[in-house]
Amino acid sequence: MIRIGNASGFYGDRLSAMREQLEGGELDVLTGDYLAELTMLILGRDRMKDSSLGYAKTFLRQMEDCLGLALDKGVKIVTNAGGLNPEGLARKLDAKVGYVTGDDLRVRFPDALTANAYLGAWEIAECLNQGAQVVVTGRVTDASLVVGPAAAHFGWARDDWDRLAGATVAGHVLECGTQATGGNFSFFTEIDATRPGFPIAEIDEDGSCLITKHDGTGGAVTTDTVTAQLLYEIGAPEYLGPDVTTHFDTIELAQEERGVRISGTRGSPPPDTLKVCLNTLGGFRNSTTFVLTGLDVEAKAELVKRQLRDAVGDDGLTWTLARTDHADADTEERASALLHATIKTADPKRAKGFSRAAIELALASYPGFHVTAPPGDGVPFGVYKAAYVKRDEVSAKAVLL
Amino acid sequence: MKRPLGVIAGARSGDKGGDANLGIWTRTPEAYEWLKGFLTTEKLKELLPEANEVSRYELPNLKALNFVLHGLLGEGVASSTRFDPQAKALGEWLRSREAEIPEELL
Repeated sequence: MIRIGNASGFYGDRLSAMREQLEGGELDVLTGDYLAELTMLILGRDRMKDSSLGYAKTFLRQMEDCLGLALDKGVKIVTNAGGLNPEGLARKLDAKVGYVTGDDLRVRFPDALTANAYLGAWEIAECLNQGAQVVVTGRVTDASLVVGPAAAHFGWARDDWDRLAGATVAGHVLECGTQATGGNFSFFTEIDATRPGFPIAEIDEDGSCLITKHDGTGGAVTTDTVTAQLLYEIGAPEYLGPDVTTHFDTIELAQEERGVRISGTRGSPPPDTLKVCLNTLGGFRNSTTFVLTGLDVEAKAELVKRQLRDAVGDDGLTWTLARTDHADADTEERASALLHATIKTADPKRAKGFSRAAIELALASYPGFHVTAPPGDGVPFGVYKAAYVKRDEVSAKAVLL
Repeated sequence: MKRPLGVIAGARSGDKGGDANLGIWTRTPEAYEWLKGFLTTEKLKELLPEANEVSRYELPNLKALNFVLHGLLGEGVASSTRFDPQAKALGEWLRSREAEIPEELL
């Protein structure tokens, strides 16, 4: 059995989770997921400003606090915090570090700000087999952070489909941190959801696992909390990954005293293409919310729309009128509707001009004019697309420092 | 009597690019049998009129249905001007919608 924990479900997750997982009980490997589709764009903008950046900076802070503790306890760290610059992050860590590279496909997709193939588990396994104490990757599938250490530990073969599928399910349950242990849980009133502990998968040689968490931590691990996370961000029951296709309709869950046992998962060969996460700069956006109180809500909305259109032009403007107002209401808030205005434009000056135009209406528009917060200067936004490439167009590599 | 679906079902939703996914699960085999028959693609669109093209998958082992709401989020989270651009609360919206739930499931 190998105990694999998770200490991060996204870039910005609980900073103290790594220490909580290391101090809370026994672990063999601690993983952390920092990369959502949106995060790749954020890191892409970091990299535009400074090419030495492009990784998750919070992970480095966690390592400054916890790397010594992890090494003392013999817990290996496996993370995708390398983002767009795994080597850059790896070189900042004082340990035996391996990193995974080869996911960057900007040469193939030159118009994209970021273009990264979703790599799999085998380069992570190779780093661990070569003795890495810390493994830093860029874009790998979230589940690979768990599959890699399990495959290395048990010496699985590349066609051990059922084992790889079982570990993929464990990885899918762990990848969003406390979403498996009672965070964002529909039946939150039935558990203590104040401060859920981070999840752990105790994986067996056959790929089955027990989902649990350290004793004394909050939240809960029940078939309901685990089911909730299994259903997160999935499509068809054939869950495609770079190393295995996992059949979610074969998963069996059973409640045990220490958590939830997952077994029965079947796997089959993966597709012959790899998914690529593409982010391009879409332009600039700015938005504000007008509060429309009391009578004539529709007419008030029409007036402010007409005024803002005249000032900045109609192109790229979108409007949503949320009729949160109630007639004859006994509080001002319940008497108010919200009109959201957003502009998306290629021209940063026009995005900024939107703010000025909205504020210049303050004494010249509908009765009761105010906004929930003054608009800012506008921010760049990205457009996400998935693409697919043949496996042999990607050369993933494990590098030991 | 009409009751919210959330009385018998949990849900979780999220984003994949411009698509949203919405998983809904029940806690007993009986509730799953009823939900499977009740919550067709058409019924989902009726309860969530903002949905356009919808795919539906059954996961009897998890007593769950999974829906993919294609294109709900436009070009993805960073560019979407939609309220709740990552579809985080889509599932809780569905749970609040009311239906004639058989008495014996309540």
